Amino acid sequence: MDADATRSQLAAALVRVAGGDRAALRIVYQDTCAKLFGVCLRILKDRSEAEDVLQDVYVTVWRKAATFDPGRASPITWMVAIARNRAIDRLRSRTGGGRLEPIEAADAVSDPAPAAVERVELAQQHQRLARCLEELDARHASAIRAAFLDGATYDELAARMNVPLGTMKSWIRRGLLKLRACLER
Amino acid sequence: MSDDDTIDPADRGKLIAAEYVLGVLGAEERREVERRLAQEPALAAEVAFWEERLGVLADAVAPVTPPQHTWSQIEAAIPAAAAARPASLWQSLAFWRGFGIAAAALAAASIAALAYIGLVPATRTPLMATLAGTSGQPNFVAAVTATGDNLIVVPATLLTNDPRAIELWLILPNQRPRSLGLIQPGQPIHLTIPPDLAGRLTADAALAVSLEPPGGSPTGQPTGPVIASGKLTSL
Repeated sequence: MDADATRSQLAAALVRVAGGDRAALRIVYQDTCAKLFGVCLRILKDRSEAEDVLQDVYVTVWRKAATFDPGRASPITWMVAIARNRAIDRLRSRTGGGRLEPIEAADAVSDPAPAAVERVELAQQHQRLARCLEELDARHASAIRAAFLDGATYDELAARMNVPLGTMKSWIRRGLLKLRACLER
Repeated sequence: MSDDDTIDPADRGKLIAAEYVLGVLGAEERREVERRLAQEPALAAEVAFWEERLGVLADAVAPVTPPQHTWSQIEAAIPAAAAARPASLWQSLAFWRGFGIAAAALAAASIAALAYIGLVPATRTPLMATLAGTSGQPNFVAAVTATGDNLIVVPATLLTNDPRAIELWLILPNQRPRSLGLIQPGQPIHLTIPPDLAGRLTADAALAVSLEPPGGSPTGQPTGPVIASGKLTSL
């Protein structure tokens, strides 16, 4: 099946979920659970917490499916946003906001180029973002990627990359402003 | 928290949305943004912009299959279908009127649709659907004739100047959408339901409306945005 059909089938399943169709939720789950579990696990670094959050994500999808607007968002992007928000909230609620594993050395954070895009539907947008990230200072781009993938706070990123907090904020904020200007072009 | 004074204050306002989506804010700042999202459409649009653009970064994350039992726990956590949604069309109408959106137009469309199905002797329970957009605004009212083989679709609000064709889809449980034909934004339209689907329009089914290239979807499946949808409801 081509990418557009995959996307429209997932969007159609979400429309049915909005109508209270449990079978449709199962289809949505089967199509997306591995992706979303990977996203939660990457942020939380803990399987049992990631499982809890994943359940919460699909209950949220069930409740919020009616607010999904297929004209404005891709279905998978909409669901990734829910998964990341839930996982980040869980991460922040840990006592002391701590992570379960030691913070990696700074050089381990310089995230590699994104892995092969698995969904063609997003390839174009992906290329565009990659191009705009390339225009940034490499450290700024690297901090932005690490922040997104790990849900790390400014403090954590500053410690990881061994720079003062003010510097990290400035890197990311300037990077985001430049990125926005590039994405709008 | 120390801040960078060299960033323009106008940019700072926009940055909060990007920082929220990126995930660098603390718990309290996140709650603050979420509180504002409900009241500030500009902020919500900015968050949507970043979710859509940065979302592709998640492609760098390897998929991991969750344990088998996760699905059964999700299933146990969601309410039974019957209890999950408003039970009747009339409850839905009251809900939408509460928003004060196009209530008069909706009422007029409902009456037109009801008048239409009222002309046909009732051999089975008539079905209706209010097709709403994601804002909750009703865009169409559809009624299935008592014979089950005809459908009338009445626009409730002047929908769009969009030049694209407007296509109506039948969505049956566990099946791909089936096209029921093209409809018009400005006038009621009468569609004949294909014979193999005539008996399948039940309260399990939903209708959806998408924007398609002129002449309708080239693939037989919705290719454009779904602008309205709703479940069929027995009267």
